[in-house]
Amino acid sequence: MLRTQLRRRRLLAAALTVPLLLGAAACGGDDDAGDGKVELSIFWWGAENRAQLTEKALDLYTSKHPDVTFKKTWQANQGYFDKLATLTAGGNAPDIFQIDDNYIAEYATRNVTLDLTPYQQSGKVDTSKFPEGLWKYGVVDGKLAGLSFGENTQGLVYNKTLLAKHKLPEPTIGMSWDDLISWAANVSKVTKVPGTQDPSATYQAFWVWIRQQGKDLYNGKELGFTEQDVTAWFDLWKKAREQGATPTPDVIHEGNVTDISKQLVVTGKAATSWVWANQMPELKKNTADELGVVSYPGDPSAQWARASMYFSVFRGSKHKDAAVDVLNFLANDPEAGKILGTDRGLPSNLDIRKEVAATTTDPAMKASIAVEDQLVPKFGPAPAVPLPGHSKVKTELVKAAEEVQYGRQAPAQAAAAYVAAAKAAIGQG
Amino acid sequence: MSPAPPREPATHRQAPGVARRRENLPGYLFLSPWLLGLAVITAIPMLLSLYLSFTNYDVLTPLTEAEWVGWDNYRRMFTDDPSYWHSVRVTVTFALVAVPLKLAAALGVALLLNRVFRGVGLFRGLFYLPSLLGGSVALAIVWVSMFNRDGAFNSLLGVFGIEGAPWVNDPKWALETLMLLAIWQFGAPMIIFLAGLKQVPAELYEAASVDGAGAWRQFVHITLPMLSPVIFFNLVLETINGFQGFTSAFVISNGEGGPVDSTLMYTLNLYINGFVRLDMGYASAMAWVFLLAIGLITVVLFRTGRFWVHYSDSEGR
Repeated sequence: MLRTQLRRRRLLAAALTVPLLLGAAACGGDDDAGDGKVELSIFWWGAENRAQLTEKALDLYTSKHPDVTFKKTWQANQGYFDKLATLTAGGNAPDIFQIDDNYIAEYATRNVTLDLTPYQQSGKVDTSKFPEGLWKYGVVDGKLAGLSFGENTQGLVYNKTLLAKHKLPEPTIGMSWDDLISWAANVSKVTKVPGTQDPSATYQAFWVWIRQQGKDLYNGKELGFTEQDVTAWFDLWKKAREQGATPTPDVIHEGNVTDISKQLVVTGKAATSWVWANQMPELKKNTADELGVVSYPGDPSAQWARASMYFSVFRGSKHKDAAVDVLNFLANDPEAGKILGTDRGLPSNLDIRKEVAATTTDPAMKASIAVEDQLVPKFGPAPAVPLPGHSKVKTELVKAAEEVQYGRQAPAQAAAAYVAAAKAAIGQG
Repeated sequence: MSPAPPREPATHRQAPGVARRRENLPGYLFLSPWLLGLAVITAIPMLLSLYLSFTNYDVLTPLTEAEWVGWDNYRRMFTDDPSYWHSVRVTVTFALVAVPLKLAAALGVALLLNRVFRGVGLFRGLFYLPSLLGGSVALAIVWVSMFNRDGAFNSLLGVFGIEGAPWVNDPKWALETLMLLAIWQFGAPMIIFLAGLKQVPAELYEAASVDGAGAWRQFVHITLPMLSPVIFFNLVLETINGFQGFTSAFVISNGEGGPVDSTLMYTLNLYINGFVRLDMGYASAMAWVFLLAIGLITVVLFRTGRFWVHYSDSEGR
């Protein structure tokens, strides 16, 4: 009798424990308010500063449209695309998300992004003040997959303080690749700081160079360059290393990581780094030295107005129209534009760009605006947005270039391996 | 591992089977959150990934639209992906070097700390500390700054007039640096060894020394055989751990396995394929081959264990 009672009590205890445990796990669900109020989720990568600006601009939107509030999530660039992919896989992609040209084709070709073309045609997304090439750089397979949220271009950033101290000339727009390399070799000799980071692993440097050879990174759905091109590129920098223009391979490797705070020009391990012009302010935060910026060497018409990043709307969003309106607001509202500044690149809307340029006080921001202003008239036509598989095309270039830098492979050998891997990455037979 | 249910009293009228089932019911009920977790968090996703390994699932396209590709992913892995075999080589090298050295370090230090001397507790704590920090990201970051060209390690070498390599940034040494990090974290197996050493009966040593056996013979003929179950346990655990090394390789190479793929561990390669290249079907196939390989290695270890693992309580086996 006692046994049965005990058993019953145990059963009861167990039965009570289970829902308790499950209940604890189920806290914090989603509740849908059915009163016209909309909560949009928005997700971006960036630093603290970007978060503050973006939140401020979104608050401004809410103050004008009290029915629309935001669930804001942001994080560092590393891991951002893992998270975005995972959210998308779970069908929980944010209503609005930031994306760049490394991934926009991946998302657009798989129909994750909403085609903004109809909104553009009806004027709900206004791109009339955008440079044409800039908004077109968001078109994938005829669909407007993302709205450009900043224009940038390749920027060669150099340490002004260091050069001034040794009375050395600064690099100039339009100097040839050979001139730059001899300049850098001289800087190394005089300052004992390697003149330039070796950019043979930097895809955007290779991209500019290959465009100057009359080719491109991609040609339709195929690679736009050959083994011979890559060999010539690797040879160019092999020669530069032999002249002492660049750091040792391990330091080059340190600089090859994408983290902006580890770029050699700010860690003092090289006098120049190959980055994007809009990264100037962020670079400046990591060094006490004055920085300057010019275009990459060679004819600057190989450079183009690149969308540094986009905002896209999730095609499965429940509030597409509201999300699109937010995009339009962030891109075209003068007040919002003023708040956002040049953090994501030069404002896409030219009116806003003019106003921001006139009012900014940050010297690094001023410098990046100045160099773009100088380059804009010289820009060539933008290439098509990179193909799906682009991220692998990029990492394979790093690998091949480093094989050469560490002296483990000859340029031709690494180039052959690279072209094969890059073709495989974009699914070219 | 479930404890044997208590015997029903003989006077009980119900059939013993039914009674036992009823007796077990509360147990299962108490277990049910865990069982549910096992099913939802482990079993179902695993089965799903088995299915995905036969598809071209790319994360962004809905699961339901993933195309069946048969054995394609597996074929590609074995015949058409040099980076796959490269990562297998890296991982096997890592495990073959790091695991034995880690166990040797753990055993060596455990033997030293098994003596009774003042402050032994403090030393045990200090040696255990690194493994508490475990696979932490912070630790790997510290490792990077210690083992680059201007790192603390090279400064130390500099005192002796030796010019060090750029270790983590040198494809020749990056993997070795990772191994060192793994070996350094020998605290967990060390503690287990210590516990094992305490179990060895002191009489055995007394008898042996009466018979004139020196320290080395005592170690070989008493300590090692008596400790063999613990060695075996640590070996299996650390081997599995060694093959799964991810965090430190990820942090040291910024998630890319560099320089020039020298730290491209299997799991890191899997991650890159799945999350960076969005080739999740392929990554799933890699995961399943990995699971089978580790399973196989464990079986082999168990088989060979019969020949050298001595269980003192299972006489006559």
